[in-house]
Amino acid sequence: MTDAAPAIFVAIESSGLGAAIRQSTWAYMSANVAHILSLMAFAGAVAVMDLRMIGAFAATRPDFILRKARWAAVIAFAGLVLSGLTLFTAEASHVVLNRVFQIKLGLIALGLANIVAFEVWVTPKVQNIPPLAPLPDAARPIAIASLTVWFCVAACGRLIAYF
Amino acid sequence: MSRFGLSIALVAVVSALAASALAHHGWGSYDAANPVTVAGPIQTLKFENPHAEITVKAADKVWTVTLAPTFRMTSRGATADVIAVGKGVSAYGYLSTVEKDEMRAERITVDGKTYELR
Repeated sequence: MTDAAPAIFVAIESSGLGAAIRQSTWAYMSANVAHILSLMAFAGAVAVMDLRMIGAFAATRPDFILRKARWAAVIAFAGLVLSGLTLFTAEASHVVLNRVFQIKLGLIALGLANIVAFEVWVTPKVQNIPPLAPLPDAARPIAIASLTVWFCVAACGRLIAYF
Repeated sequence: MSRFGLSIALVAVVSALAASALAHHGWGSYDAANPVTVAGPIQTLKFENPHAEITVKAADKVWTVTLAPTFRMTSRGATADVIAVGKGVSAYGYLSTVEKDEMRAERITVDGKTYELR
């Protein structure tokens, strides 16, 4: 516990839930495992969508690929948030002050904003277009930004423990 | 595909950075070149995740000794009962380069029995 953190995070860490997560034999470890498994699923789904938008698997219908992979990504992201909140609650006051964690949160916001840009500028234009058809101009830069940002988010997540 | 190549290169650089940090495996902020041994009675015990922690009243001062995750502590036999408050402990490990008076234990000895924590 560190009192240098804003009171709300000190309260989260010292809550009954925080103590329960720290003292349980299984909770913290399970959340750790769930976080990495969710990350695998999320990275896989994101990679399928982004690679399609960069030009890979060109012989498939993009809207079909996007629809299926989006579901997987949403479910995996929910798993990431749930397991991440569990890990955060156990150590909130320390983690919130961790510079790499703060960078990670910023990158997540950037990644989510990038998804909004994709849904606004790309998704409507790729509905019902056939395999091998040219993709909208915005597709490739947004997909490259997506891959870059989410890989950096994952790297930051691992690096929290070292700073 | 040049921008695709560029993004792959970016990812590779980030991964390499992460991998080099991983090599420290959580011991990065401890001075592994200068091992120390802290011995004395256990004053407090937090048998909690992510790492169990005891304070030890040594001759010079009270040390905070960071141990292993609780699941590993238990599986190696160093349960909360073994490292109970009041027991004498000898901890071999490394000084923190960040926190004052904190060390991380490579192994501890309690009641003549040694427990490897790494």
